[in-house]
Amino acid sequence: MSKFDLSRRQFVAAFGATAALAGLAACNSSEPAAEGTEGEGTDTAALVGSISCSGATSFQPLVEKARDAFQDANPDVSVAISGGGSGQGLSQVAEGSVQIGRSDVFAEEKLEADQLEGLVDNQVCIVGMGPIVNADVDVTDITTEQLKGIFLGEITDWADLGGTAGTIQVIQREAGSGTRATFEAAVLGGEVAPDSFRPVAEVDSSGTVVEQVAATAGSISYVAFNYMENDGIKALTVDGVEPTQENVESGDFTIWAYEHMYTREDEDESTAAVTKAFIEFMLSDDFAATVVEEGFIPMGDMKVKKDAEGNVTAA
Amino acid sequence: MANLMPKRRLENIGLGITGFCVALVALVVVTLIFMVAQQGLTTFFVDGLNPIDFFFGQNWIPEQERYGALPMIVGSFAVTLLSTAFALPVAIGSAIFVVEVAPSFGRRIFQPFIELLVGIPSVVYGVLGLYVINSLIKAIFGDAAPTGAGILSGSLVLAIMILPTITTLSMDALRAVPNQYREGSYALGCTRWQTTWHVVLKSALPSLMTAVILGMTRAFGETLAVQMVIGGVERSMPMGLLDPASTLTAALTAGLSNAVSGSVYYHALWSLGMILLAMSLVFILIIHLIGRKGAKANG
Repeated sequence: MSKFDLSRRQFVAAFGATAALAGLAACNSSEPAAEGTEGEGTDTAALVGSISCSGATSFQPLVEKARDAFQDANPDVSVAISGGGSGQGLSQVAEGSVQIGRSDVFAEEKLEADQLEGLVDNQVCIVGMGPIVNADVDVTDITTEQLKGIFLGEITDWADLGGTAGTIQVIQREAGSGTRATFEAAVLGGEVAPDSFRPVAEVDSSGTVVEQVAATAGSISYVAFNYMENDGIKALTVDGVEPTQENVESGDFTIWAYEHMYTREDEDESTAAVTKAFIEFMLSDDFAATVVEEGFIPMGDMKVKKDAEGNVTAA
Repeated sequence: MANLMPKRRLENIGLGITGFCVALVALVVVTLIFMVAQQGLTTFFVDGLNPIDFFFGQNWIPEQERYGALPMIVGSFAVTLLSTAFALPVAIGSAIFVVEVAPSFGRRIFQPFIELLVGIPSVVYGVLGLYVINSLIKAIFGDAAPTGAGILSGSLVLAIMILPTITTLSMDALRAVPNQYREGSYALGCTRWQTTWHVVLKSALPSLMTAVILGMTRAFGETLAVQMVIGGVERSMPMGLLDPASTLTAALTAGLSNAVSGSVYYHALWSLGMILLAMSLVFILIIHLIGRKGAKANG
């Protein structure tokens, strides 16, 4: 009962707030345009409006940093950021309930064709991923073929990789995880593990992956670069290539993906300018340093690109 | 008469408010069941998934569009039954001790102590399980349980969680047995143990069953703590107690953030929710049946 009561009250409150905001935005949206015409050439027209952004949690901290800096530069702008996962971000931007939907994967992989209509893909940065193993595993390099064998359940002993004999304990991310999708697309090449293959755990966050790999002897898993500097785990080189920003940029290291911020073509005028400016800010040279600090790779220096099917071409 | 009118109005207002509350509760329950059923049944009627494949399919692999819920159904029932089996003897044993043997200790020390356990949030049990129980299982079984996560760990954590529920309800059940029964038994020359076993436990049986079912309901519906210790492997059937597995609740929470609303995956997750709802209805039904039987038995 109290639940319903509360949601009703919340509904009224939310409705009121939205109406007020919409009113505010409508009042103010004419102002920047007016200013623009008056003082021509001064591109300092103040941005006004509030947008919301939901979706993937993997690069949420980065987007939050961008939000803080962006709001400092534009005091009349508010960007509300929430999580929910790539699936939620995509469906919410598709139905128009948020202005920006964050995703770890191309929308084509999750949405139906009719939902894709009107969506704009903004690739804001790149995340590199690589295999990690328990620190006691005495293997330092692995080939893509070997990785594939392990995650398909064909290679089960470290001795097959030149290490000390011992069972390979595979720790997976949960089904539907963007990290997992990226890793499997780059490593498995479309093959799927047989039904009989069981990982020792399927966990739902990179932080837990690190903890579990550190605690489990002979374990292997995969995480984004920014999780690799942890005690008890060690990153492997793949085909002799180190998992670094430079190697991803040059195209030598192949396990990486774009972080997407999807927007709508037919976004409401009152917020479109803010959304556009925010995305531009994320891609700006000023923000690139923060992108690197947070463990991601800026779009600027990439010498290769990937399409939704995973084909890599020179940029 | 003039004095009576406001009273009657007051009566009507009271009736209105309380009646409204009842209507609201009924509305919430009906809406909830309707929503879950509507979304959950879409899987079968719109997306065209075969219910037999869903309920008896042994592989839950969303990226291959395979939605067999049996691994989670088995996981949920396994942890529920096992945890009850672990918790029940301890709960009944301690209830007997504090009600029949040392009532003042029971009321002053044990009861507040056990009630404290009820209030601990499940994430605390989860963390405890992850670091203590999983490590313990790993240390005991070695390579057979490389991460320590599995059905056994999940059951142990749940056993600790439902222990206070079953214990307090069992204590209440034993206390509710009229003292004349005990006195009559003593008068016939029975020992305390004979009295407890043949008289007190027998006549408290329906209430004890209710305690057990309520404990099982909690175990079945628990999400967070189990999710943290069970390993979360949904893709195929667990083959032993040390195998990592998943439960309906854990799969539902883990999947929801990755599923796009409106997709088959999303609907399949609602179908899992529907199974959970159906199961809790069954549990409640059992409790009512036991209650009715108990009432009949006691006249």
